[in-house]
Amino acid sequence: MTRLALITALAATLAGLVLAQAPAKSWTPPRTPDGKPDLEGVWTNNTVTPLERPKDLAGKEFYTGAELAAGMKKEHERLDQNVEEGRPTQPGTADDVHYDFSEYGLDRAQTKLAWNRRTSIIVGTGGTIPPLTPEAAKRRAERRAKAKGHQFDGPESMSLSARCIARANVGPPLLPAAYNSNLQIVQGAGYVVIEAEMIHDARVIPTDGRPHIAKNIKQWMGDSVGHWEGNTLVIDTTNFTDLNPFEDAQNLHVVERLTRVDPDTILYQFTVEDPGMWTKPWSGELPISKIDGQLYEYACHEANYGLVNTLRGARVAEEEAAKKKEGK
Amino acid sequence: MRTRVLVMLAGLGLLTAAVPVWAHHAFAAEFDQKKPLKLKGTVVRWEVTNPHSWIHMEVKGDDGQTVTWMIEGGSPNNLYRLGFTKDSLPPGAEIVVEGYQAKDGSNRAVGKNVTFTDGRRLFLGLQMPGADGERK
Repeated sequence: MTRLALITALAATLAGLVLAQAPAKSWTPPRTPDGKPDLEGVWTNNTVTPLERPKDLAGKEFYTGAELAAGMKKEHERLDQNVEEGRPTQPGTADDVHYDFSEYGLDRAQTKLAWNRRTSIIVGTGGTIPPLTPEAAKRRAERRAKAKGHQFDGPESMSLSARCIARANVGPPLLPAAYNSNLQIVQGAGYVVIEAEMIHDARVIPTDGRPHIAKNIKQWMGDSVGHWEGNTLVIDTTNFTDLNPFEDAQNLHVVERLTRVDPDTILYQFTVEDPGMWTKPWSGELPISKIDGQLYEYACHEANYGLVNTLRGARVAEEEAAKKKEGK
Repeated sequence: MRTRVLVMLAGLGLLTAAVPVWAHHAFAAEFDQKKPLKLKGTVVRWEVTNPHSWIHMEVKGDDGQTVTWMIEGGSPNNLYRLGFTKDSLPPGAEIVVEGYQAKDGSNRAVGKNVTFTDGRRLFLGLQMPGADGERK
């Protein structure tokens, strides 16, 4: 089967697939030894579906099967041009580097994608993050103005991911990373652990009915407690630090629902709220797909020379700018 | 060989066109897109470390002088999936590296790929211009 035929066949298979709110009733998930639904395994939430719906798709929540197939074909042709025909690229251009990146095994277009027909992860007719409250808009504008031009002043002005502290994909909510959206779920009696390969984080979620930790304790990934509702794991997370990487929120509350709907798919649904941040709560959903293999260690702090090199580069750029100014 | 690739070339062109390619940190801040280079030399040592790996190699210049370069490559998890093993770059191995030099002009570069004497070429899978870090 040629690749194009494979893509076409895949698109045809997927053409009718829309993840519904309710799991398929005909399938009963396997159980762990303590009788809970079994979510264990290595998974990915890699997707091409954006968090927010693009403006030109406003009001359109789902692609048709034909549109999905056309999009996949278009992507195939795009990569054909660069990879399979080995079209020469000009050294020193972005295209040159992208040519190789398209061979990158962890590119979101090449590892397994969790397909569905949604045009955005955020559900509903709007498909976008609701407007900020006036206070939150002011807070964000002030933070951005303060940070502008100072991104590389020193290590602490750099992003949490560059500093190996936290990465937005871990959330919660769990959202796909640009590359390497690999996850592993491990269950034990009274606990579920969700580990993200990038950049090292493991969320330990007790399901024994305990309450949240004291309100004054704030954590990078908040404090998660879970319980089972039928076949669905429901996770409630509060106690985020206001330094957390998710959308500037200061009093974030996240509820996540994980339901294994078939052997290879977990339906992931989430709702986030922060009355001081957004004018209303918002929700999203995307499938999480089973993949082969294992997670590898990603001990991010091991040798983060890149941070030093980036700061060096910034100092050189400043020197050059200063010289240029003097010369005028 | 990328035998682990499960679904090839699946993507919605309409969407991926707008998707920024991210990396662990910003390419543009660390490396210079206008300074592509190709280095031929021998491996001194290879740090298979996170978040990124580093190849230390000796390169003989046109003037006969040997200089040491540090080449940044992908993280160990990525390199394994791209076909590297821990024995891929032993000290003394002759290699050719294509990449981009550090912005500060030092003997550091980000590696695009490495070619071995038998012609095999492996992608170093790392960063690229336009990679601006995490979502703000």
